[in-house]
Amino acid sequence: MEEFLQLIMEPMKDVFVKFKEFAPNLLAMLTIVLVGILFARIMKAVLLRFMKAIKLDSWSDRMGLTAVMRRGDLWAKPSEAVGSVVFWTLIIGSLMAGLSALKIHAIDSLVNQFILYLPRAFSAVLILVFGYIIAGFVGRAVLIAAVNSGYHYAKLLAEAIRLLLTVLILAMALEQLQVAPGIVVAAFSIIFGGIVLALAISFGVGGIDAARRMIEKEEERKEEKKDIEHM
Amino acid sequence: MSDFYQGGVITTLHNLGKQSLERLEAELRLYSSVRPVALVLPALYSEFEGPAMPRIVEELAKVKYIKEIVLVLDKASEKEFRNAKEFMSSISTDVKIVHNDGRRIGEIYDTIERNGLDVGQRGKGRSAWLAYGYVIARGQSDFIALHDCDIVTYSREMLARLCYPVVKPNLDYVFCKGYYSRVTDRMHGRVTRLLVTPLVRSIQQLYGEHSFLTFLDSFRYPLAGEFCMGIDMARVNRIPWDWGLEVGSLAEVFRNYSPRRVCQVDIAVTYEHKHQVLSADDPEEGLMKMAVDICKSIFRTLASEGVVFSEGFFKSLTVAYQRFAEDTIMKYEADASINGLIFDRHEEAKAVEAFTRAIGLAAKAFRENPMGAPLIPNWNRVTSAIPGILDMLKKAVDEDNK
Repeated sequence: MEEFLQLIMEPMKDVFVKFKEFAPNLLAMLTIVLVGILFARIMKAVLLRFMKAIKLDSWSDRMGLTAVMRRGDLWAKPSEAVGSVVFWTLIIGSLMAGLSALKIHAIDSLVNQFILYLPRAFSAVLILVFGYIIAGFVGRAVLIAAVNSGYHYAKLLAEAIRLLLTVLILAMALEQLQVAPGIVVAAFSIIFGGIVLALAISFGVGGIDAARRMIEKEEERKEEKKDIEHM
Repeated sequence: MSDFYQGGVITTLHNLGKQSLERLEAELRLYSSVRPVALVLPALYSEFEGPAMPRIVEELAKVKYIKEIVLVLDKASEKEFRNAKEFMSSISTDVKIVHNDGRRIGEIYDTIERNGLDVGQRGKGRSAWLAYGYVIARGQSDFIALHDCDIVTYSREMLARLCYPVVKPNLDYVFCKGYYSRVTDRMHGRVTRLLVTPLVRSIQQLYGEHSFLTFLDSFRYPLAGEFCMGIDMARVNRIPWDWGLEVGSLAEVFRNYSPRRVCQVDIAVTYEHKHQVLSADDPEEGLMKMAVDICKSIFRTLASEGVVFSEGFFKSLTVAYQRFAEDTIMKYEADASINGLIFDRHEEAKAVEAFTRAIGLAAKAFRENPMGAPLIPNWNRVTSAIPGILDMLKKAVDEDNK
C-alpha cells in the first residue's frame, strides 16, 4: 500500500518541484504582459493626442493616404489606425518579452526572429507611405506637364506612370519584408522589363519613318555644307 | 389650363394644349442617351411608411430615360436601410441608396469637417449636396433632377416635364424649377403666398429695383423643391442646409448663371404633400422656423449683393410687409371665392402676424450676425481641400449597397 502511495506521490512531487521552479518565470511573464498592456494603452493615448495636435488626419486626407485606406474598405481615422497598429505592436512585443521570460528554448528563438524582423517591417511601412506620396506627386506633375503641352492622352500617361511607380514601390516593400524575395525581384524585373521593352519596341517601330527622315535630312544638310565649302 | 403669360426675367413653360406623356418620354429617351440624367431623392425612412413613397416607386419603375437614381436615406437604422433597398428593388434603373446614418458616410462627414469645411446639420440640403457629390464621383450623368419623397399626388409626368427643358439640347437651359398650385378644397403654400412674395415686393418698394429681387419674384413658386440642373451647377453651387435651402439655391443660380438660361415649368395640376404646422409661438419649430430661415437667407443674399440694411429699413419693412400681406389676403380671398374654395381669413391673418414676427426675428439675427451660418461648400471647394474625397464617397456608397 505504501509503495502504491509512493508511486502516486512521486510524480506529483516532481510536478510540484518543477512548478516551483517555473512559477517565478510565469509570474515574471504575467507581470511583463500586464505592464506591457498598460504601457501600450498609455502610448496609444499619448500618440493619439500627438497626432491630433499635428493634425495627422487632415494631412493624410490631403496627401491621399486616407483615400488608400478607404479603397481597402478601412473606415477608421488614420490616427486611430496608426494608434491601433502601435498598440498591437506593443502588445505583441510585450507578449514576446513575457514569453521569453518563461525561458523556453523554442520560444526564445521565435522571439529573436520577431525582434529582428521589426526593423524590416518598419522600413516597409515607410517605403509604402512615402512611395505612395511620391508616386502621387510625380503622377500629378506629369499630368500637369502633359496637359500644358497639349498632349491628348495626358491622364492616361499620368496614370501609367503612377501605376509603374506603385509597382516599383510594392516590389521594394515586399523585398524589404523578405516575402519570397527571389520571386518578387524576378516578377518585378519581368513586369518592369516587359513594359520598358514594349515601350521601346512601340516607339522604335512607330518612329522608323521619323528616324529615317531625320537621318536623311541630316545627310542632306551635310551634302549642302560640302557643296558650299567646295564652291 | 393655365394662361401663357411670360412674366419676370426667366422663361415660364406653361401647361398648354393636349399633353402627351408618351411623346415627352420618347424624346427624353432619345436625348438622355447622350445627355444622361440622374434623379436625386432626399428621403426620410418615415416616408417609406407613408402613402407617398409606394406611389413614387410605382411610377419611377415605369421611367426608362433616367440613368441612375440616388436616394439619400436619412434617419434610418441598418435594418431600415436594408428595408429601403428591398423597397426600391422593383425599379429597373440603377438605384443607389446613400445611408446617411451609416458608419462609412459618417466618416465621410468627419473627413470633410476635420479639414475645416462645414457640412451643416442634417436635413434636405445636406442630403441633396451629398447626393450631388456621389453623382459627380460616378461620372455617369450630365444632369441632376431632384424632387421630394412626400408627394402624395406624384406622377411620372412631373419628372418628365421637369427634365425636358434642360435635357433637350436646343432649348439650352441649365436650370429648371417646377411650379404648381397647391390647392385641395382650399389653398395651401402659406409661406410662398403670404411671406416670400409680399416680402420681396415690400423690399422692392423700399429699396427700389434690384436684379436679385426681380429674379426671385419671377418664380411662381420659389419654394418648390423640384428642379433639374446641369451637373456643373452641382459642382459650383453652395447649398444652405437650413430652411433657406430653396431661396439660397436660387441665389446661387442667380450668382453663377444668366437668367436667360433659367426657366420654370408647370409640372402638375395638383400637388399635395405633408403640411407643416404654423407654430406661431415657437420660432424654432414648424413654419415659423422656416419663415425665419427664409427671411435671413434673403437678407444675407441682398447684403452680399451690396444692399445696406439699417435699423430704420427693417422697421419700415415690417410695416410695409404687413400692409402688402394684408392686401394679398384680400386677393386670395377673392380668388378662393370665385373658385368655391374654403378660405379661413382669420387663419390667414394669424399667419401674416406670425410671419411679421418672423421678419423681426430674422432682422435681429441678421444685425447680430450678418454672416450667419455658412453654406455647405461646393464640391469644387471640397475636392480642392481633400483631393480623394469623391473616390471615398463613391467607395462608401458602393460598399453600403453591396
